[in-house]
Amino acid sequence: MSLDILTVNNLDGGYEVFIGNRRVFVHAVDDVSLTLHDNEVLGVAGESGCGKSTLAKMVYGGIIPPLVVRSGSISLVTRGGEVLEMNKLDIDTIRRKIWWIEISYIPQNSMNVLNPLKRIKDQFIGVFKYHNIEMDKNEIIKYLKDTLTTLSLPPEVINAYPHQLSGGMRQRVVIALSLLFNPRIVLADEPTTAVDVVTQRVILSLLKEWRENNKSSFILISHDMSVHAYMDNRIAIMYAGNIVELGNTFDVFREPLHPYTKALIESLIRKGDKSIRKGLAGQPPDLINPPPGCRFHPRCPYAINICRAKEPPTTSLDKDRYVRCWLYANPR
Amino acid sequence: MIEDKNWLKIENVTKLYGYGLLGLKKFKALDNISLNIDLGKPRIAVIAGETGSGKTTLLRIIMGVVKPDIGKVLYKGYDIHKLKGSASKWYRKEVQPIFQDPYEAFNPLRRIDTYFYDTTRNICGIKNRNEAIYRIDEALRFVGLSLDRISGKYPHEFSGGELQRISIARALLTSPRILLADEPVSMLDATLRVGILNILKDLKEKLNMIIIYVTHDLSTAYYIGDDISIIYRGTLVEHGPISKVYQEPRHPYTNALLNSILEPDPSLREKYPAIKPSSLELKEFLIMGCRYANRCPRAKEICWHTLPPYVDVDGVSVRCWKYLDYKIDYSS
Repeated sequence: MSLDILTVNNLDGGYEVFIGNRRVFVHAVDDVSLTLHDNEVLGVAGESGCGKSTLAKMVYGGIIPPLVVRSGSISLVTRGGEVLEMNKLDIDTIRRKIWWIEISYIPQNSMNVLNPLKRIKDQFIGVFKYHNIEMDKNEIIKYLKDTLTTLSLPPEVINAYPHQLSGGMRQRVVIALSLLFNPRIVLADEPTTAVDVVTQRVILSLLKEWRENNKSSFILISHDMSVHAYMDNRIAIMYAGNIVELGNTFDVFREPLHPYTKALIESLIRKGDKSIRKGLAGQPPDLINPPPGCRFHPRCPYAINICRAKEPPTTSLDKDRYVRCWLYANPR
Repeated sequence: MIEDKNWLKIENVTKLYGYGLLGLKKFKALDNISLNIDLGKPRIAVIAGETGSGKTTLLRIIMGVVKPDIGKVLYKGYDIHKLKGSASKWYRKEVQPIFQDPYEAFNPLRRIDTYFYDTTRNICGIKNRNEAIYRIDEALRFVGLSLDRISGKYPHEFSGGELQRISIARALLTSPRILLADEPVSMLDATLRVGILNILKDLKEKLNMIIIYVTHDLSTAYYIGDDISIIYRGTLVEHGPISKVYQEPRHPYTNALLNSILEPDPSLREKYPAIKPSSLELKEFLIMGCRYANRCPRAKEICWHTLPPYVDVDGVSVRCWKYLDYKIDYSS
């Protein structure tokens, strides 16, 4: 079977902030377990403020206060077969050995992360220097041009400043930068949110093609369910810091199990559909003071007494299908 | 004049923006746009296009905050850019906007209810406090809120969906004829989106309002829209009833746009056609002929240097040489 290259076990953490003298803990990721197989796209979907990006930061190892990890482990199998406990390594080792080479990150709002004062090629050369890669400057330029062509960017862009490029092109430049050393795992945090429909399709299909050619794995974070429908092999649905459902994309879209997933799938508007739909009433809970029991119970139409008192366990139904809901907790 | 009483007429509106080092060179951000909206028929008119197509500029011209360089906007026979004093106040009462980002539309240091009191006093001219309270509560109840729930609160105490409802309620206070909605749901989560769209639908059906809905999201456009105008790089390329346009897109651009929508259905994954990434925006704005010539698969010599006229094809007005050739071939 497929190999697990990244395993996240019972990860728990959030942001520790001080309001006056009061210590407040925003519990953004609560007991999350995930595995990422070799050569697959795992989607993480959920509303804004449900902890998707926090999860990505933790997996990536970018744990800088106020973000804290309280418990849990993240283990990564490197290309050489070594098993690394990500949260036991210090940040410098992670930076030099893991970032870009093993795991790479496409940041949210990526069209605005380039340094406006540097030409595109200088920004790339900085990365080579940081990783102590001995390469002739001409060779680097040639390598860069090749990388940019795979994302159908004209090779001239390496001499341009960021403001000379359109938003969609800058986004593709940042993606090229993340994919530079053919990483095995790519964490894409909302890679297409800020662009319009046509550019979105272009970027996603380029990412898809690149992934298929390189046999890499993606963790794709997005609130847009159509992006997940287009890209994912498996999808995890997050709600208020919990993963409430995880499964094969086709199964989840065809037969959502968790009441939240059901509401989410039902609220999606399809092209050429005018039938009246209902949204979900209420709003996501405050993560500083989440409701007791299941965090979804105040909005859940099927809530029963136990939901209000006890957190539901994660129940495994079929192979690779998990639901965190009391309705499925005791299979008859 | 009598005929004009019931129309919002946008006549040959052209807006020039500067580019280059000092902005001395100009390009047409909007090129000769004409649209007529019958004020007697409640409807939702969609203006759709990509980022940088000029759709927001057009909306701002209708709102009266941007002046067109050529052409005019007539509301009930009056040129809205020449209104002064009480007449301009009257226009503000008749036409109200709601904006894209509900988090940025309100001053974070100002209580939400003060916006309502200000609007009733300054624009509606209601001096009596009890009457004002009655009007405000009525408007808020229409969107599923009430004055008790918002009084004394600041914007950060509401979720995005609630803030967007509040903006709609504030716009309703003046009982406007036209509501201008600039991407009102693009910042919201899927589960809240439907709620806002249903409110817009209710406004049309119950309050007989006209809503001009500007968006790049063609699935939500179809969900609530009655007719659609597609804008590409400042030119109106297709205009007609939404069902006709969706069933059989006439303009090659409309066709590409409709086909590039990603749908929340994983089984359609393999069915999307290949797509060509867009090149530099400015270059396309400067094309003398059809702006889409650069990307159009069937572009001919004439497309590059002459802008096609509007052709009526089965109730839909299209701007493409394809149809003119067709007619000439047919008659000869």
